[in-house]
Amino acid sequence: MTFVPVAGRRLPSVHLERRLQVEPRRAALVRLLGVVTALLLAGIFLQITGRSSLTLAGDVVRSTFGERRGLEETAVIATPILLDAIAVAIGLRMRIWNIGAEGQFYIGAWAAAGIGIHFHFPTPVLLLLMAAAGVIGGALWMLVPAIARAYWNVNEIITTLLLNFVAVTWVEWFSIDIWRDKQAAVIQATPLVNARLPGLFGSTTLHVGFLLPLALAVVAWYVFRYTRWGFEVDMIGGNPRAAEFVGIPVRRRILTVMLISGAIAGLSGMVHLAGAAGRLQGTISNSYGFSGFIVAALAGGSFVGLVAGGLFIALLLHSGILLQTEGLSVYIVLAIYGLVLVGIAVAEMAARYRIVIASGRSPGASAPTEELP
Amino acid sequence: MNIFLAALRTAIDAGTVVVCAGMGELLTERVGVLNLGQEGLIGIGAVTAVIVSANSSSPWVALFAGMLAAGVLGLLFATSVVIVRTNQVLTGLAVVLIGVGLSNQLGNDYQGSPVAHTFAPLKVPILADIPQVGPALFDHTLIVYLAYVVLPVVVAIVLFRTRHGMNLRAVGENPAAADAAGINVAGMRVLYTTIGAALSGAGGAFLMLVFTTNWSVNVARGRGWVALAVVIFAAWRPSLLVFGALLFGAMISLGFIAQEQNWGIPSFALTMLPYLVTLALIIIPSALARFGFKVRSSVAPAGLAVPYFREER
Repeated sequence: MTFVPVAGRRLPSVHLERRLQVEPRRAALVRLLGVVTALLLAGIFLQITGRSSLTLAGDVVRSTFGERRGLEETAVIATPILLDAIAVAIGLRMRIWNIGAEGQFYIGAWAAAGIGIHFHFPTPVLLLLMAAAGVIGGALWMLVPAIARAYWNVNEIITTLLLNFVAVTWVEWFSIDIWRDKQAAVIQATPLVNARLPGLFGSTTLHVGFLLPLALAVVAWYVFRYTRWGFEVDMIGGNPRAAEFVGIPVRRRILTVMLISGAIAGLSGMVHLAGAAGRLQGTISNSYGFSGFIVAALAGGSFVGLVAGGLFIALLLHSGILLQTEGLSVYIVLAIYGLVLVGIAVAEMAARYRIVIASGRSPGASAPTEELP
Repeated sequence: MNIFLAALRTAIDAGTVVVCAGMGELLTERVGVLNLGQEGLIGIGAVTAVIVSANSSSPWVALFAGMLAAGVLGLLFATSVVIVRTNQVLTGLAVVLIGVGLSNQLGNDYQGSPVAHTFAPLKVPILADIPQVGPALFDHTLIVYLAYVVLPVVVAIVLFRTRHGMNLRAVGENPAAADAAGINVAGMRVLYTTIGAALSGAGGAFLMLVFTTNWSVNVARGRGWVALAVVIFAAWRPSLLVFGALLFGAMISLGFIAQEQNWGIPSFALTMLPYLVTLALIIIPSALARFGFKVRSSVAPAGLAVPYFREER
């Protein structure tokens, strides 16, 4: 891409030059710049519509970082987002886009609720059974898209996406009708599950489930860095034909990876149910699977970047909840979320270019004289 | 009018949104751009139509305003993914968030009140007088005829019978070759992504000006996603897209009838049905092909969702 002023040969020309490599530090910095720009734009918009964005921003920072409770609530939101992001990221390693994490989350929560409402075992046993139900539920929900993708080459983006709508309706059906708590007249939800995840460090807000995505991220990082299986999955992502030639069972790997992805997303539903929500209802997911997908896609398959991104998005959503108490609607927060996403996506590309101002005397030969960020 | 013809009538209306948005997405994908933002574009088209309709005297103004607003959002999306070359999946999801968020916010004041100016049905002379079938097929608003007859025919002729259409498809299949042949790849992609978005906006406006005639939160209700699925089901062909959209409309209409007639099927099951049927329609042809049946091949444009860098040619 070149922008050459046509006025004369002697004028300096401004080029955009593509970098061959982007250092991680620069990439992170430029992304941050993208986020800040997007938030500034949102602030200007709010200012125009007659709100003081500086006051709002101050409130958000104070009540998130100023109080232990704010940080804990952010971590509670981050838990399912991070788990879903890991689920999606594992697929992204072989270029599988699982947009269905939202649906698998719902079904995982549904399966766990089914066990948690109807059985009375000691808490640890019941929690394990619920986790197993969540994992199996999520994986089964992925089964059809996985088989279709692995053996019949059906694009997984739309199939996993369509099942989200089915999953949400399915959970609404059970929470409004079949498993509805008859005692609670006001809320349309199932009764409380009989086992809850204990608090972390004696907290009443933050539960031990928060440790799960952190541990899983480390495991996933290790698997893709040091194991043969992880290498094979990466290779399929890089070049499926080459992978097939060296004897990797590509179809079987696709099937396994997709089922694992579904299982982890299902587990996130169970963790959120047993840790935070307590009862199953149609609105149990605050688009956690959707956010997880976005986080994973932004991190581009990196498990370290994923944790940072997940915590950031959780922060954004948590400020959204705060802003609602300030009279802003959830919808404006949604739009700001989208704007931030665009900011990051643009920054991602911007980091790959540098602006080069050449003197233009001898076309092509002159060395770049100045480099802007 | 008996019940099945009534169902057909509703199916045609319900499917119109999907025809509009689907045709827009078909054009967009044919030039190699994947716009996942349909849900947001429909929302923007709908809310603009509601607002403009309340402040003007004609539903036509509202329709065009809806197309314009969605087209502007589409132009922004196109600039981002074609010129800056951001990731199309991510940017598309951002369009969903922005579109749904903004439209819900702007529509808040219009909650519950009927849309001011709506389209009236237009009877096709003679044909509408055919007993039974006439009212079901030939007593719709002008937009319905435009969406089901004029739009697909125009798109099909442009795509498959003109040089411009050939260029258009070349940009989606092999942008490098198209570029070498002197076709303006970026220009084509921006143009058709914008036109596609405007068509989705028309779908949203139709929803408000004809189908529901009442603003409600999350107005698209997943129809944008269905439009994306129908494009795949239709194998990127305008004629099959019309059929797919009609089928989706039929599912919606079945839900209405089941409630009306008290068939005893839970409404939840009927809500899930269109998505499950769409899923089956996407998977079954590929599965059959795998087992040796001869089915039409559904191959996406080769350049779909791949940004084009001239220097990497």
